[in-house]
Amino acid sequence: MNILELKNVSKKFGSKSVINNLNLTVPTGAIFGFVGENGAGKTTTMKMILGLEEKDSGEILVKGKSVVFGDNQTNHLTGYLPDVPEFYDYMSGQEYLKFCGEITGLTRSQLKQKVPEILSLVGLELDKRRIKGYSRGMKQRLGIAQALLNDPELLICDEPTSALDPSGRNEFLEMLSTLKGRTTILFSTHILTDVERICDYVGMLDRGKLVVSAPLDDLKQKYAKDQIEIEFSQAVKLETFSKKLEELREENILTAYSFDSSKKVFILKYTQNYDEIAPLIFNLFESCKIYPKAIKKIAPSLESIFLEVIQ
Amino acid sequence: MRNFYFFTRKELFEAWRTSRMMILIVIFLIFGLMNPLLAKLTPEIVKMTIGETLAKTIPEPTSVDSWTQFFKNLTQMGLIVLALMFSGSVSNEISKGTLVNLVTKGLRRWTVIVGKATSLILQWTVCLLLTFLVTWGYTVHYFPDQKSPYLFQAVFPLWLFGVLLLSLVIFSSTISRNNYEGLLLTGGVIVLLVLMNLFSKTKHYNPISLVTQNLNFLQKEGALQSYIPSMAISLILFILFILFSILLFNRKKI
Repeated sequence: MNILELKNVSKKFGSKSVINNLNLTVPTGAIFGFVGENGAGKTTTMKMILGLEEKDSGEILVKGKSVVFGDNQTNHLTGYLPDVPEFYDYMSGQEYLKFCGEITGLTRSQLKQKVPEILSLVGLELDKRRIKGYSRGMKQRLGIAQALLNDPELLICDEPTSALDPSGRNEFLEMLSTLKGRTTILFSTHILTDVERICDYVGMLDRGKLVVSAPLDDLKQKYAKDQIEIEFSQAVKLETFSKKLEELREENILTAYSFDSSKKVFILKYTQNYDEIAPLIFNLFESCKIYPKAIKKIAPSLESIFLEVIQ
Repeated sequence: MRNFYFFTRKELFEAWRTSRMMILIVIFLIFGLMNPLLAKLTPEIVKMTIGETLAKTIPEPTSVDSWTQFFKNLTQMGLIVLALMFSGSVSNEISKGTLVNLVTKGLRRWTVIVGKATSLILQWTVCLLLTFLVTWGYTVHYFPDQKSPYLFQAVFPLWLFGVLLLSLVIFSSTISRNNYEGLLLTGGVIVLLVLMNLFSKTKHYNPISLVTQNLNFLQKEGALQSYIPSMAISLILFILFILFSILLFNRKKI
């Protein structure tokens, strides 16, 4: 069962095509990381899902129901955290949450329990301080609180972590991962470590097209290539070692290698198993009579996958 | 329906917290106090400026003078204050983006327009009632005559026109990107009505008559009857403005 489906969605601003035949499905219960560079169309896509932006063609379904621009009826299923959330400055945090809760149809007794609970969850105090005096980070926290208030079936967050300090970011990610199983989360970001940490699905958007959409583990298996990083101390002479590496590359045992001369670091790329390649490298050390300061196997990162995919 | 109530309550709460309600009440209270006072003091002022002998030729002030002041103040300054105060009602929320959180929670868009209209009409009603009661109390006290018998018939059209004006303010505010554009559009429509009033044939149909004929309504029995068409047209225009605002707002990027 998919909670969200986008079929052949396109969007132009004037003559500039922003989203181009986008197909995207988010399975129910997933934490879906929506990755792309600035200006790739992430915010526009999210706004179309919420009926805040008009699509030119295609279809968007939230829980099987069609999304329309304007007075959209599927919004009671969603919670949305905009990249810069705006509030009524003259209210206090709890007044605002109470109002939001009423709008989503929570009862008075539910609100009495929920508002303090969610305020402490996001780390805001239950006081009479007006939103006018909130810092940006506090507003972001309040934004999260209002998005989570009605336990939405689909939570959409637009770059939620970019305005938070490191500890706030950490807490926010922890909080999102605790929601797993309770709600489906679609969140956009360009911080790839955030995605690696909590997402189980990843979609990568590049120039209005979804270039990749798959479970994170599949993606890693498909794209990622292990690397070996070898670091030498400054005094070592590396000419013979480089020559031997070049030979390995010519024999297609290594796919590529790079050398950072200031740090004396080699990075080797290969396709075989580590068990096959490692003995060859160790033999090289023996034969050249040089020994590294450090040798490290680097697991594939989402960053390397992303860079590879958007090329 | 419940959301309509919550949103209207938020609007009223906003008017209170941001002191807008307070400012309105003070302004309209001043109007209320000023009307009978000015009528009472006019002879004194005249005496001081042009001398006692000439002043004697001017008739004694009556309740009609007090109500003349009332309608002059409210139909000009009063309505302008209303339009100024509320011109950004919808456009401000759109430009600030404060509705995004609410609409993405499933708040139906019509509740925003109807909620705003309701709260504005309520505020207008309170202000008008306040000014009316103050003027009425003082007028009865200073000028206990029978010269202005049809008070309700005179004030009701003013209220109705105010309601029409507010729907126009909301409509303009929905179309425009900021309060200045909104004000311009509202002013434009009013000027149009005033210009149409130059053709005296249209006066029984023109909503502007509801704020220009009040002294007539006040003194002559049944004078209001012949202006029922302009009241009906005001009502129809009110409904149309609200309807178009909703339709427009449904297609608006917020």
